[in-house]
Amino acid sequence: MQLQKSNKKFQRYLALTTLCAGLFAAMPSAHAANWLMLQGTEPADNAARAKVWGFIQPTYQKDFSDAFAGKYVPPKLIGPSLDSQSSFNIIRARIGVRGTGFPLDNKVNYFILTEFGNNAITNGGKYGSYKPYLSDASVTLNYIPGARVRMGLFKYPGAEEGLQGIAAFPYINYTGVTNQMLLERFPTNGEVNIKPQPVPNADMNAFSAPAGAFRDVGVQVFDSFDVGNWEHTYAAMLGNGHGMQMTDNNSSKDLYLYWSSAYLFDKSAKGPFRPSLKMFTWYQSGKRTDAYNTTQEQERKRYGAGISYLKKPFRVTAEYMVGKGMIFQGQQNPQTMFNDNKAAGGYIEGGYFIPNTKWELDLRYDTYKRNKGIMTGATPEAKFNTWTAGVNYHFNKKTRVTLDYAIRKDSSVFTPVNNQLKDVKGLLALQVTAVF
Amino acid sequence: MIHLSRITPIALLLAASLAASGLAQANPNAETVAAAIQAKPFAQTRVALQISDGSAEKQTLVLNVAHNLLKFYGPDKVDLEIVAFGPGLRLLFKGNANTQRIQELAAAGVRFSACDNTIAAMAKQLGHPPELNPIARIVPAGIVRMVELNKAGFFVARP
Repeated sequence: MQLQKSNKKFQRYLALTTLCAGLFAAMPSAHAANWLMLQGTEPADNAARAKVWGFIQPTYQKDFSDAFAGKYVPPKLIGPSLDSQSSFNIIRARIGVRGTGFPLDNKVNYFILTEFGNNAITNGGKYGSYKPYLSDASVTLNYIPGARVRMGLFKYPGAEEGLQGIAAFPYINYTGVTNQMLLERFPTNGEVNIKPQPVPNADMNAFSAPAGAFRDVGVQVFDSFDVGNWEHTYAAMLGNGHGMQMTDNNSSKDLYLYWSSAYLFDKSAKGPFRPSLKMFTWYQSGKRTDAYNTTQEQERKRYGAGISYLKKPFRVTAEYMVGKGMIFQGQQNPQTMFNDNKAAGGYIEGGYFIPNTKWELDLRYDTYKRNKGIMTGATPEAKFNTWTAGVNYHFNKKTRVTLDYAIRKDSSVFTPVNNQLKDVKGLLALQVTAVF
Repeated sequence: MIHLSRITPIALLLAASLAASGLAQANPNAETVAAAIQAKPFAQTRVALQISDGSAEKQTLVLNVAHNLLKFYGPDKVDLEIVAFGPGLRLLFKGNANTQRIQELAAAGVRFSACDNTIAAMAKQLGHPPELNPIARIVPAGIVRMVELNKAGFFVARP
């Protein structure tokens, strides 16, 4: 029944897609205005055969949380190793190539990116070891007017925080709702739940498979269309629903839907910082197989909507999102992730670029409610609220230093969980981002 | 979630796309250099700009140079022709990312010439002639056009 409903939704969306293609075939877009277009296409007839690019993010973080009974849980430790409360790290170090392999034909472009940084993609911690990983490898075919086709491994159409390029992400850490509800983890049989540990060498990490990193392997139909000063963008995608792992582990495919409408204040501007007011909505649905009992499957749904405004000196972004099924219960709890619980959360953030200076001030509030409505049992309702104040100093267009301080207030209705969460406190983070 | 059988409509769309790639439409030949000069009798400065590189930076640069010349001398006082050949012909492909700028420059009197030798060479690689911006005018050979423009008194530059 559920399957039939999903199929009908997909067919309706496909029909809409085809309609859009027909309606807007004669209305070319500005082609460089949003994340789907920036990441999935190249400028027509002047893209390089192979443009080398990437970014590096050396980072320092210090967690000021207190232990409970001398022991710590992952939110009080610095990832991805989760051994201690302060650490230097190279969170991201990515290098890739993009362009059009046959420059005479602008209808084909490609995008490949590798991750050498130390994070939840490359470092399995307790159950794995550091190894570089292919994070993106896709080909886009631009033959159908109004319906480009992208195939391979790439960021799926979804929430703004996950979809946006890291180089344009003004903070160091994701919001609680994005980190917990959207950034998918994939347990492997044999990885067991770990109790709170003392430091140093807490060794809490429990996932050997790479985190999803808002990516999937599949096929996406998408495009954007200009109507006056408005740019409308759609995407429909089918993917494995298995994150960055190359192949699927079950027969069901994940469905991703996306729509955004952006008012462009300056149509001639291009790139990630183009002045615009964007409204967007997205939906994801799929099935996951229980790593510990492969006869069981669980639905995983995520959907949300948001708005972003950018016109220097101001930036404002807000998103609200909802999740059902496969609700992450913390890095130390791989065996409790197979569930049908609900969760919801969102954030609002703003930035102020101080005129005639290189300084940018940022402030963000995010909230997340995990296991909504569950007042008893091993996975009770928990709340995560964070204020993050930050400052960016832009040395130039490609290099900046970011200083963030997050004030976190977490709690749970279940005393043993709350005992740990109530002492989650400040988190200081310093990071340099260099894009090349 | 959705099963693989649902991918069929997407495959059909993809197939339709391959059939939908447009056919090249022939552009008219460029006027002779003498006729071009006669059409701009009040021009005191004549400049021929060569674009033979396909990179985004070179495309932007040649358009910027044309814009700056127009701005400095004034559209009536300068005669400008951009000659595209080799990989530089990508500038004059239909749908190029700079199409709007090209249209604006053409409206201000800038001529855009496309090398027929390059078109023929690209047609061999593509299997069909490249679709060009309707503004482009065909010249038999880009380098010959540059020589002829130079002989006629044009200052020749390759930004």
